Amino acid sequence: MKTNLKSRLFLMLVSVCLLTLIFGTLVEAETFNFYVVSHGGPGDPFWGVVMKGMKEGAEAITKGTGDTINATYSGPAKYSVEELINMLNSAIATKPDGIAVTITDPAALDAPLRKAIAAGIPVIAINVPDSRPEAERIPYLFYIGGDEYLSGKKAAQRILTVRKPKRAVVTIHEIGHMGLELRAKGFIEVMTANGVPAEKLATYLDPTQAIEILKGYFAKNPDTDAIFTLGSIDSSYVITFLKEQGLAGEVVHGAFDVSDEVVHSIKEGTTLFTISQQQYLQGYLPMQFLYLFNKYKFLPANDILTGPGFVDASNVKDVEELVMQKYW
Amino acid sequence: MKDKRSKFYSSIALLLRIHPEFGALLALVLVFIVFCFTATRFLSLESLAGIVTVASELGIVAAGITFLMITGEFDLSVGSTFGFSAMILALTANAGIPLWIGFLLALAAAFFIGLINGIITVKYKIPSFITTLGTLMFWRGILLAVTGGFAVRYWGTSSFLNGLNGHFLGEFRISSIWFFIVIFLLNIILTKTPYGNSTYATGGNKEAARVLGISVDKVKIINFVICAVLAGLAGCIQFARFKSVDPLRGTGMELEAIAAVVVGGTLMSGGYGNLIGTLFGVLLMGMVRSGLIMSGAPAYWYQAFIGIILILAVITNTKLKGWAIK
Repeated sequence: MKTNLKSRLFLMLVSVCLLTLIFGTLVEAETFNFYVVSHGGPGDPFWGVVMKGMKEGAEAITKGTGDTINATYSGPAKYSVEELINMLNSAIATKPDGIAVTITDPAALDAPLRKAIAAGIPVIAINVPDSRPEAERIPYLFYIGGDEYLSGKKAAQRILTVRKPKRAVVTIHEIGHMGLELRAKGFIEVMTANGVPAEKLATYLDPTQAIEILKGYFAKNPDTDAIFTLGSIDSSYVITFLKEQGLAGEVVHGAFDVSDEVVHSIKEGTTLFTISQQQYLQGYLPMQFLYLFNKYKFLPANDILTGPGFVDASNVKDVEELVMQKYW
Repeated sequence: MKDKRSKFYSSIALLLRIHPEFGALLALVLVFIVFCFTATRFLSLESLAGIVTVASELGIVAAGITFLMITGEFDLSVGSTFGFSAMILALTANAGIPLWIGFLLALAAAFFIGLINGIITVKYKIPSFITTLGTLMFWRGILLAVTGGFAVRYWGTSSFLNGLNGHFLGEFRISSIWFFIVIFLLNIILTKTPYGNSTYATGGNKEAARVLGISVDKVKIINFVICAVLAGLAGCIQFARFKSVDPLRGTGMELEAIAAVVVGGTLMSGGYGNLIGTLFGVLLMGMVRSGLIMSGAPAYWYQAFIGIILILAVITNTKLKGWAIK
């Protein structure tokens, strides 16, 4: 009888221990430390949106799961690959649970990232992928960001759905900027394939000079009736040019990036659309995916394209409000 | 006969010595003739208006640089001053402050920037190249930090802004009137007043100028201020047309303005040059840009052409001047 009681007590004790162990594991909150390291400083409005996405992505997990996400953003105030590498090395040194990084200079980032990956730190590329051939690429998990070349192609296709232009021109304000050149390339290829003569026009940063360059181009090529601008700076002076010359509505204007001026111009009907790479997602999604990978080893089958996303007459009203709230 | 010929040469030599703008005028005429044949609709009023419009804003900045360069100094910060002043006008306009007050505040800011450039250069004996390289970065940095990289737009309309840079005579813009007023006034100051003589003397031979009782430091500081205020004025004039400023506004303008001044025959070492040369220099820059596009040349070539013209103009000026002095 006594032994029976003893063994029962022992069994109960073991059960309690086991249950505590099982449930304890189940409810124990975990903490994950993630870093976003980019070439863009926090003062840049584009990266301000990414930071907002990162912060809200981390908060959503913390609220929804009980686990804690500590998310840290670092990026040099002024474009500098050296500083980007230093920041990345500092992040790696803390042995984080995940890093999202822009592969702005694949050769320079190669060594530190390979070291981090070998040490078991999950790495996701954001905004700029490793552009080298597949065999040479840094073996990060996958890429979350836009596709510049595809964006240019989609812009041309979108204009072609409205009408087939007689001639199309792409303004480029920062010559040699890889992203802008790829957007222009995609656009020109689609236009040319559809029998529309299209070319790049270097307009530089100064708006007065840009407008005279545009006037000169239109004097030389008066049949031009489609124009694609690659960023908010050239969109701004092209909108002024179209209005000053009475060409608003006659020349189809497709833009890139979302600014209040472009939003206003879409509402007025001067601009047909603008393309966004929806960079909020480039901050938000890495938090989600790094968490899901750490927790359950989930991985998407492919890269995740956050852009090109279109803003046009159909959604401009909704976006206008969101631009104010810095989601776009 | 021989006597007559040598008299003719010596009169040309004298003409070249007192007219440093001759080389730029020659280049302007040559380029004009070439484009008349190659560029579509180059000989039209719109095309002329376009060239003058581009030349005007750049020219107002370049006029200030000419003054300063004759004193033997540089200002690399004009592009940042241009953007900074325009931003002040934009921010004050959006804050509901009357535009003319915002305009005066923008000019006052430019005045302040010029004063700092001058005082640092003169009092600490730092080359102005370094001082203004520092202030170029500083003011551009402030501009980026304050705006967070966003462009600032003023949505209102105003007759004040139209007065600064509206239309007149079809395609022409009021900025060109401001430009010609600036060139006219500065030219009178430089050629007809004792202050003009002091400016030349300060850049030519500092010690001789001191002996003559000219306050070299004071002249330099005043010219730094003139240069900055004109850059600020040009920034406000451009804002008046576009009603928006991005934080990169004016980037690279300093080099283009310096190139125009040098093409116009002003010596970088100081003591020699004039505003008529600068007028031709900026018109040449505007003409090359428009002409190349109207000729169907890829716009990517513009900088390469300007580079060649700059070097050719300086070689021509140096040769002509060397020959004239002989």
